[in-house]
Amino acid sequence: MKLSLGIREIEEIRNKLGREPKEEELLIMDSLWSEHCSYKSSKFFLRRFSYLNERVIMGIEDWQDAGAIDVGDGYALVIKVESHNHPSALDPFNGAATGVGGIIRDVISKGAKPIALLDMIRTGRINNQKAKWLAINIVKGISYYGNSIGVPVIGGEFSFDDCYVENPLVDIACLGIVKKDRIVPSFASKPSFLVIAGSTGIDGLGGASFASRQLSGEDEIGAVQIGDAFYGKLLMDSTLEIAEKAIAIKDLGGGGLAVAVSEMVSPKFGAEVNLEKVPLRDPEMKPWEIIVSETQERMLIATDFPEKVCEVYLSNEIPCSVIGEVTERKEIVFKYNGEVIVNLPSEIVTPPIYVRNSSEYFIKYDELPNITAEEAVKLILSSYDFSSMEWAYSQYDYEVGTSTVIKPGERDSSIISLPNGKLIAVKADANPDLCYLDPYNGAKQVFAETYRNLASVGAKMIAAVDHLQFGNPEKEEIFYQFEMSVNGIAEASRFFDVPIVGGKVSFYNEDKHGNPIKPTPLIVGVGLLDNFRRTKKLGEELILIGKTRSGLGGSLLAKELNVKLRPPQVILDEEKRNSDFVIKLIKEGEVTYSKDVSKGGLVGSTIKLSLQISKGVNVDFSNMYYHGNRLESLFSESGGRFLVLTSKGDEVIDLAKSNGIVARKIGEINDEYEINLGGIRLRWEEVKKSWRKLNEVM
Amino acid sequence: MAVIKYPGSTCELDTLKPLKEVGINGEIVDYRAFDPDKYSALILPGGFTYGDYLRAGAIAARNSRGIKEFYIQGKPIIGICNGFQILTEMGLLKGTLTINSTGKFISKWLYIKVRRFDTPLTYKISKDIIHIPIAHSYGRFYEEDLNERLITFTYCSKEGIEGPEHNPNGSILNVAGISSEEGNVIGLMPHPERASIRMISPSGEADGLLMFNSLKKYIEERVK
Repeated sequence: MKLSLGIREIEEIRNKLGREPKEEELLIMDSLWSEHCSYKSSKFFLRRFSYLNERVIMGIEDWQDAGAIDVGDGYALVIKVESHNHPSALDPFNGAATGVGGIIRDVISKGAKPIALLDMIRTGRINNQKAKWLAINIVKGISYYGNSIGVPVIGGEFSFDDCYVENPLVDIACLGIVKKDRIVPSFASKPSFLVIAGSTGIDGLGGASFASRQLSGEDEIGAVQIGDAFYGKLLMDSTLEIAEKAIAIKDLGGGGLAVAVSEMVSPKFGAEVNLEKVPLRDPEMKPWEIIVSETQERMLIATDFPEKVCEVYLSNEIPCSVIGEVTERKEIVFKYNGEVIVNLPSEIVTPPIYVRNSSEYFIKYDELPNITAEEAVKLILSSYDFSSMEWAYSQYDYEVGTSTVIKPGERDSSIISLPNGKLIAVKADANPDLCYLDPYNGAKQVFAETYRNLASVGAKMIAAVDHLQFGNPEKEEIFYQFEMSVNGIAEASRFFDVPIVGGKVSFYNEDKHGNPIKPTPLIVGVGLLDNFRRTKKLGEELILIGKTRSGLGGSLLAKELNVKLRPPQVILDEEKRNSDFVIKLIKEGEVTYSKDVSKGGLVGSTIKLSLQISKGVNVDFSNMYYHGNRLESLFSESGGRFLVLTSKGDEVIDLAKSNGIVARKIGEINDEYEINLGGIRLRWEEVKKSWRKLNEVM
Repeated sequence: MAVIKYPGSTCELDTLKPLKEVGINGEIVDYRAFDPDKYSALILPGGFTYGDYLRAGAIAARNSRGIKEFYIQGKPIIGICNGFQILTEMGLLKGTLTINSTGKFISKWLYIKVRRFDTPLTYKISKDIIHIPIAHSYGRFYEEDLNERLITFTYCSKEGIEGPEHNPNGSILNVAGISSEEGNVIGLMPHPERASIRMISPSGEADGLLMFNSLKKYIEERVK
């Protein structure tokens, strides 16, 4: 099996042990110190996210498997995001399916019932056959696992860029709900029994290590896990049933039993595990295979009531056995029929922390091509990124749970109802093009966009988790992207008073030639709201809130033109001021519909609004405030802007004025099924057909 | 009323909600513990029993002794989505449910038309066009020489027009649900429990609740 440990790391292990490590011990260390499990290149910087407010129950400092926030009435909302990029590159169906399974198990490890999933998928443009194959099968994998296990996919995003042809990104977020005094930790707090549920096979050997190096192009299919959603469902139901009897629960994920046991007990305790007691699918498995197998659908439980725990799993026909103990002695010992296979001091789990060198790079900007507004509108309409994702959502059972208030793709954010009657809005955002041009401001903008998207359905953002995805961190320019993205997110988090309660880092996203993906930090935000009304009677006046700023960098138009342009400035104060204002307008019933201005700028957002409300729209752009040239005014994706519909336009504009906010009436809706963009006239039916272009081909 | 849970059922809790809403006393019962004498009606909820292995509903159908007894007693049996698949696999309802003509899972809100009014879900129902979601891979109903009197629901437009353009999955004659000769056994692919909450309904209507109201009346008036 391939190791990812460096020569110096092996030397360090040798020094810490004071002897030559055994082969099995090296395999364990390879998983434990893999980038995937240890965050050795990122941990130092992730401390910058440390920011708490009164809502945080489990934050980034706790370093648990998921974050949790208080949503009132004694409930905690558990949030987690993760990717399954490398497995999905090789086997998109199983890679994506096990991505869903893995994150669901992280949430149930906390004793929380999973209530919603989001999937954020990035592949190459689908005129590339491989990209199309990946996209179709990633969706199938998510559909298979999510539907079978009965957790609705309520939102997400799909985006296409050729930097993801070989290395797609499959990010899945999961929300769970639990009484806050019933959250189960990941760490054992006292000596107790260790129980494993689920049977172990030989799939996914060395998966954590595989995820921690660039794709080799060689046959590494043996490192991909296979999921069984039915089994996952039984495991979920049983685990939620035994949660009250557990001292700690962990999913067996990357690094298998080795990592789950070590992370559960160290550094305060040790463990003794008898490998012959682990239920196996293949009785011929060797001890080292049992230790590092990444077979899915397994849980590790520390408990004082091992028989009762096993009874529940066994009644659901899941193999389960007591495999050992959490010990006071700070050693991690794996035995096989009495023979000591592994004996490592507990503190060795703690990985080395690297502060890697970074180097800034400078972008040479292109000239803005000389095209007409009409041509630009056509480019936007023909973009894969400007398409309905119904082909994907319609394969997800998004109504299971009977709580999905705003369905996937319906608005800027999705909404789900909680058992206490409150509503949670959720949205994930990324902008790799912007983050490539300027990782620091790009990351700030992404955070602000999430805040804005939540505001557009009336929700105030209360927490975030992040997923930081980059190429090889040993390259200085890549590490620069990482470091500056962290700075941007940390700063925005404090500015918006929105704590980051968890996250994940994924490095080595490169193809076999070492070409990295564009930096893709992603934010998943949740917001709280008391009520949501689907207004039947829309106001007729279209008001633009916020000022349009120059700069087409990071915009959809620039992407379609394939040019690097200067991005607009990121103005956090305007973002927050305008978003909070819109939340207030919605709450007070001043506006009947709102949508943020983002993809495709004012043109793209007006079109999307028109499609969402199934009405025509007339817009006169000459009436708005902007700076820059005409093309910029129509297609800039500068932040802090909303389109709102109201029947009380003057009132809204006056209210805006008193808050120091720019607002202008720029148009009205019509019943003619025509979209008139300042003289560029489009037939609604034709626009809709083009919007649905992927439904035909995927 | 019993809502039967099999390994892999996913909609049992969702199905309890509208029962409670209309005032039917319902509880979730493990298939192994189901006592047919204890209940006056039963629902087989949606989900993926036994992971759809073999065929959707096939394995559950082979673990259904209590349900057969319940059937012999002539009491109302309702199968929703996977529950419908189980009932056809058991042979309690005619026909078979095979893979959608699109070859894919389909999740979608649409309209169905009520064609028969003497079943537990349609008894004295106040509307005959129902806004409701579907979510299935194996929902394409097929049966040769189907007695059209058994057709209980058909896919249709908002105005009630049936036709191939309103048929999401290729079902023969747009069938969305059928019932037994006597009418007491009924299966449908759409999910009435998901159409029973105004807040999550795109039209703001809770048409599914009308079906549960019918169920209540049916039990009160037709079941001893």
